Amino acid sequence: MAEHYSSFRKGGRLWFWQRVTAAFLVVVLAFHFFLLHFVYHADEVTFALSQSRMEMWSYYSLMILFLFTATFHGVNGVYNALINQGLTGTKRQVVKWTLIAASIILLVQGVRTANAWAGLPTFF
Amino acid sequence: MSTHPPQQEQEPEESPTEQPPESVEETSPGKQKRETDKADRRIREAQREADEAAADDGPTRHIKVFRYDPEVESKQEPRFDDFHVPFEKGMTVLDALIYARDNYDPSLTFRHSCRQAICGSDAFFVNGDQCLGCKTQISELSEPVRIEPLPHQDVVKDLVVDMEHFYDEMKAVDPYFDPDETPAGDLEEQRQSRQNREKVKMSTRCIWCGACFSSCNIAAGDNQYLGPAALNKAYRFAMDEREGSERKQQRLETIEQEHGVWRCQTQFSCTNVCPKDIPLTEHIQELKREAVKNNLKFW
Amino acid sequence: MSQSYNRGLIEDFGRWREFSAGMWAWIFHKFTGWVLVGYLFTHIAVLSTAIPAASQDPATLAAGEDIYTTTIVTLEELLLVRILEVGLLAVAVFHILNGLRLLLVDLGIGLESQDKSFYASLILTGAITVASVPTFIAGAF
Repeated sequence: MAEHYSSFRKGGRLWFWQRVTAAFLVVVLAFHFFLLHFVYHADEVTFALSQSRMEMWSYYSLMILFLFTATFHGVNGVYNALINQGLTGTKRQVVKWTLIAASIILLVQGVRTANAWAGLPTFF
Repeated sequence: MSTHPPQQEQEPEESPTEQPPESVEETSPGKQKRETDKADRRIREAQREADEAAADDGPTRHIKVFRYDPEVESKQEPRFDDFHVPFEKGMTVLDALIYARDNYDPSLTFRHSCRQAICGSDAFFVNGDQCLGCKTQISELSEPVRIEPLPHQDVVKDLVVDMEHFYDEMKAVDPYFDPDETPAGDLEEQRQSRQNREKVKMSTRCIWCGACFSSCNIAAGDNQYLGPAALNKAYRFAMDEREGSERKQQRLETIEQEHGVWRCQTQFSCTNVCPKDIPLTEHIQELKREAVKNNLKFW
Repeated sequence: MSQSYNRGLIEDFGRWREFSAGMWAWIFHKFTGWVLVGYLFTHIAVLSTAIPAASQDPATLAAGEDIYTTTIVTLEELLLVRILEVGLLAVAVFHILNGLRLLLVDLGIGLESQDKSFYASLILTGAITVASVPTFIAGAF
């Protein structure tokens, strides 16, 4: 057998990570909602308030992890829903790469936003 | 039944005729009254039974059957035909269809064979649910009973659907016993423990009727999805200890491709409609867990 | 089969009365999933007004006049947005609760009562949404 023996085709890996990210998101999304609507209130939002949260390293890294996990879970979910509906061939490849591109844009923009509060570089 | 000539027969229970004569002088008025009361009761009971029987065996049941025939002008556009079949106690959907075909329209076409839920030929879509015709009681269905061919599959004629795709998916999982090694001796048995048999018992019940496959939305959308029946078959053999670990590995590899177990969205429709009560979703879930556990080892 | 008749998917919504619990769960989970993904992109887009805001002068920031604060405040003043937020809560709560149900099913727990657990997540979603309405609508008037 070759060096890297694994019969783990992509299908299974995506399924597995979808569940793992799901478990993580259940907790973090609930926390996010709770913090931003019940502890702090939507009508009291200011730049300064958001900044005070993001300047804490623990909160910042949690939010970054939240962003990456949610993007993966959401985009993978959409991709799977489309395959279930019968997306095949070239159209599927096009959709796949479009989704990946959209995810990258989302991630970049998200990190830049978080950085804007945390005082880290936002690049362009 | 008694072979005695009728004159010597005892009067039957329901008969309201007079009691065996007793000397009138010895019967008190009270006793006479009791005896006439008893006779009255017997008449009333008999009448009530007859009434009930008549109500249950209402004259006919109304069935609406999907008709389609590409070769006949009038049936090229699908339509529903109405039949009123005389009801008999214990009548099944299949009975009703056979009656309709034999007495009203000989061109009514549907598959059936054993009529005892073992051949898997007569899976239909009745009142919105997949079921076996021979196993479904007409008395339990609301009228008019709508009988259609299985959804998601192309209709060949009337209630007959093209099962080729279903069979292709079944074949794809090698649905036969295929051990790594056979025992050395000529007459030696391949033993299976009781627990192992219990484990695969339910999965052996599949009769290839196709009801589950036609109830799955993923199977409907994704043409390459193996489907619940094929995955259950794979489970039946992968979990059979007599096959050996190498064959199990190969089987797992087949079903863990992208359009294998991972497509299942645990909709549970398959489990709900299986006429043999096989817990299909449970089996597929177990296969998913097996696949994940199997692969975690190699990271 | 060249001459056979394709009657289409069972997801023909005309047949919705015949849907089982598991089927509804799948449909709702998909629907809420799409809504949440759509929201994720919108959310990041709105929040990214913080980037230009960060480079505005400190006085504007202190006064809460920066583009980020004004954007959010303007949005939050609209009753429609508040109502949509309640909708978002319902969608997210359902997706979480049904998602938990699916995770349990994936672990092989509770398969016998899967339809009951779906109804439970629906009811719980309703309850949580209704209970949160006061907090969400507060200050919109």
